[in-house]
This record gives sequence, C-alpha cells and structure tokens, in this order.
Amino acid sequence: MISLTHVTKLYGSVIGVNDVTVELGAGAYGLLGPNGAGKTTFLGLVTGQLRPSIGRVRVFGERPFFNARVLRRIGYCPASDLTERSATPREWVRYLVQLSGFTPAASLKRADSTLEQVGLGEAARRPLSTLSKGMRQRAKLAGAIAHDPDLLVLDEPFDGLDPVARHELVSLVRTWARSRSLLVASHLLHEVEALQAGLAVILGGRLVASGTVHEIRDLIDTLPSEVRVVSSAPRRLAELACGCPEAEAVRFVGNDTFIVDTRAPRLLAERIGEAAISEGILVRELVPGDRSLEGIFGRLVQLHRGVTP
Amino acid sequence: MTGQRLSPDRAPGESPPLPALAAIVAVARFQIDRLLTPPRLALAAIGVIFPTAVLLAAAKARDASLERDLGAILLYALVPEAVCMLGLLVTISPAVADELERGTWVHVAVRPGGRRALLLGTWLAAVLWTGAVALSGLLLALLTGVISNGWSLLGPFAILVCLSCIGRAALFALPAVIVPKRSLVASVGVALVVEYLAGLIPAVVNQLTVSLRLHTLLVRFMDWRRTLAPELQLLIDDRPPSAQVAAVLLLAVVYLAIAVAILEWRQFPPSEES
Repeated sequence: MISLTHVTKLYGSVIGVNDVTVELGAGAYGLLGPNGAGKTTFLGLVTGQLRPSIGRVRVFGERPFFNARVLRRIGYCPASDLTERSATPREWVRYLVQLSGFTPAASLKRADSTLEQVGLGEAARRPLSTLSKGMRQRAKLAGAIAHDPDLLVLDEPFDGLDPVARHELVSLVRTWARSRSLLVASHLLHEVEALQAGLAVILGGRLVASGTVHEIRDLIDTLPSEVRVVSSAPRRLAELACGCPEAEAVRFVGNDTFIVDTRAPRLLAERIGEAAISEGILVRELVPGDRSLEGIFGRLVQLHRGVTP
Repeated sequence: MTGQRLSPDRAPGESPPLPALAAIVAVARFQIDRLLTPPRLALAAIGVIFPTAVLLAAAKARDASLERDLGAILLYALVPEAVCMLGLLVTISPAVADELERGTWVHVAVRPGGRRALLLGTWLAAVLWTGAVALSGLLLALLTGVISNGWSLLGPFAILVCLSCIGRAALFALPAVIVPKRSLVASVGVALVVEYLAGLIPAVVNQLTVSLRLHTLLVRFMDWRRTLAPELQLLIDDRPPSAQVAAVLLLAVVYLAIAVAILEWRQFPPSEES
C-alpha cells in the first residue's frame, strides 16, 4: 500500500526525512517519533503534498504527488487546528467532499451522515469557532473520512484532547480502521498502542524500527539496557552481579550505587535480588531498565541522540 | 491487520458531470461565504460609495454637473481602475496565504485537483465579489445624475469593469502563488510595474497588459480617437474592440494557467502551514 524506497526529503539544508525505506501493507500503522522527528514530512510525502528530494514514494502502486487517482483514495487529517471561523462543521465537511468530486447534494448527504457518525450531529450547524478542541478534531476527522477513502492518514489526532475526548476518538478511529487502512503519526506511544496498530519509529528523519509491537520488543532486546542498584553493601553485591551470565559490565556511580549493563534487565534484576536475600544484603533500590513500550521508545530516542546511560 | 476495501464507494449520481468545474464553483461559493463578514461588507460598502462621493465632490467644486467626457475620465479612474484594483488586491492576492494562515491549505491540497480548484475558485469569487462592488458603485454614481448624459456610459463601463476584474484577478493570481507570504506587497508592485508602467510603454511589452486593452476600449467607446493627441495615440491599440476583449480573456487564461501550474508544483514545508 505504501512504499518508500531510499527517500530523502530536504528543505534547503534541513533534512525532513533521511534515506527512509519502508513497505507498509494494508492495515493499521502508527508512525511514532518525538516532535521534529520527521513524521509530518513522512505523511506529507505519502499524501502527495511533498515530492521526495531523492528516492521513490508509491501509494497504491503510484506516485502520490499531483496524482488525482491516489489522492481520491486518501483521507488526511492534519495536526494543525482548524481555524476556519465562520463555517459550520456541516459546511466545512460538505466543502471538502465537493472538492473530492461529489455533487453538492451527495456532499451534503455524506457530510450529515459522517458528522453523525463522529458524534457531531447536534453541533453540525454551529460555527467551528464556538466548538471545543475535541469537537473540532471530530470535524477534521469527518472531513477526512466523508469521501470514503481507502487510506486514512492522521497526524497527531489526539493532541490537546482531554482523556474522555481522546478515548472517544480512539474508539472512533479503531472502528473505522477495521475495514480500511490507517496511518497515525503520534509522539505518544500509548495512543498508538490503543489503536492496536503496527509500529514504525522515526527519529531525526530516519526510520529506526518498524513492525509489530512484539517485533519491536524483540529488536530492542538486542540493544543494551541496564539495572540500577542502591545497596548498603554495593561492592559485595556488584561482585555477585558480575557472576551472573546476563551481566555485561558494572560501574559505580556513587558510594552506594552501581549500574550493571545487560541485555536481559528483568532477569538480571531477579538474580541480583535473590543474591541479596541469600547474602542478607540490604537493597534500597533495584531498578531494571524500562522495557515497556514507553521505555523502549525513550531508549530509542536516547540512543539516537547519543545519550549514554 | 484489518481488511481493506479496494475502492471508494460512490453511488450512481454522486459524481457531477464536470467534477473539476463543480469543485471550482464549490470553492468560489465557500470563498464568497467567507467574504460575508461585517468588516468585509463594510469595505465593500466603501467601495460602492467612494466613486460617487468623489464625483459629487468634483461636481460641487465646479458648481455644475460633470460633462460626459470629464465624467467618463473620472469614472474610469475611480471604478475600473481604483475600485477594481483595490477589491482584487484584497480578494485574490491572499488566495494561498490565507489558506496557509487558516490551516486549511493542507485540507485542500490533499484533494484531487484541490490546488487547481482553490486557485480558480478564489479567482472566480474575487471576480464576482469585486465585479459586484464595482458595478454597484458605477450604478450608484450614475443614479445620482452627477454626470451629464451619464446613463450612456453604463454599458461600456460595465464591460470595462468586467474585463478589469477578469484580467487583473488573473494577473494578481501570479504573485499569490509565487510569493504567498508577501502576496499583497508583490501584487501592488505588479499593479504599478506591469499595469501602470509597462502598460504606458509604447512597445511590445504593453501588449501583455490589461491596461492597454482597457485604455483602448475606453477611447473607442467614447469615440475619442480622432481628438486624441498624437503622443497619446501611441498608448492605445489599433485593433477593434472585439480583439481587445479577446486579448484580455486570452491574457487571463494564460496568467491563470501559469499560476495553476506553479501552484500544482509548489510544496509548502510543514513549518509554513501555520
């Protein structure tokens, strides 16, 4: 469905995305990365707003830029807030559907049914400027799906929403994605997790990982992690830790604290705990490296930025 | 992963016979709705009243109604030139910049043919809006009877207003797509350099201006050709009025085609879309 081959996008001397190669089949995907990582540029390339400086972009097997056939099959909901003041959601969505090549009557019908679908039926005739951020997000989403695209692309769709609005919008998008393809860019991992989507992690314009959540976990397992230990007898406990096959290196960062480098932090933490109990050593703190998805993401960001543990 | 539909559902009758034209009309309608705000309506009212106010002041200064020729010169300077120019500057010049500022550009740019529809629809809205203001101003000026035998000017001046709006809106579409962030300043520059400077140079370059066609039509409509000073005759074209009208329409098509081509090819980095 989406294919990028050695794609680089330059804005003058600034790199938007850097030598990205990725194949995404039909389905739901989360594009994950911190602010400024190149997510919006990636989406711009996929949705035909931008041309690659180097490389090849294909969506549904065709170049998306200046290609009406591809654009007709894409729905895009950008990150920027809708600042259209006087228009109502009904007028706005009808306008966008008309631009997608529908008659005025069909556009109005689709606008009404889609606004109903996203829960904006009652607010459909109120000016957008009087709606809450969550309602405007729904109006944007309605504009993106009302022409019935095959691929829905959402850029930070849950940004600035309260938890209730976020939960409702996640449910909406998840329901929609059951029958179509979805690409969601976000800097918050739990949002992507909530959508039960595959992952592509982008950092500094580079795609650093892609696959299912499990595949990315497996990938991360090959990366070094650490266990931090604060104890009353750090030297003795460090000796014991060195005896564990999972330990790769030990260093002291204070009088009572040491850190063990490992690729299996949880297992090593268990072993150190058991050793401390058997030796009667007081352990004040025993923290394995975070292997939650948030932790993985944070770790990838740290590695990318060259931050040593 | 989830399943996927292979093509958008589109029931019979949902697609218009000319989708590109329908999209242009949709944009024009949306842009006109945007113009129906109190500040814009107040500006339009000023545009309608302004020519009459100036003509009345001129008549008062002379203590008599204006002769037809003098009235025509003033009316030409006020309506097809001043009102049309100013109206078009504020409607077509920000065609792209306004969308970028409102955050609506990206919504339109990802639609099939959205960029083209945006430009041509905004052009159409600018022509209709400015044309309506200028024609209302013209009617009001003639209704006051401040110009002797003024009603004979209605037809010719209505043509001049329409051509001024069509041609110059297309001309101002170029700076709107080339330098969207400074389009207003650039359009003023284009108006001064292209329309008022190049238009007065008796050379090939003035053939590319709307001014030359409007001056020529004014002279023809008013039958001033024989009484025109020889040096001023250099500033008008010898071809018949129909050729002048065709030239303005052709210029408009060429300018718009260039503007559409530029806009279709333009890319706005995400940082500019806010």
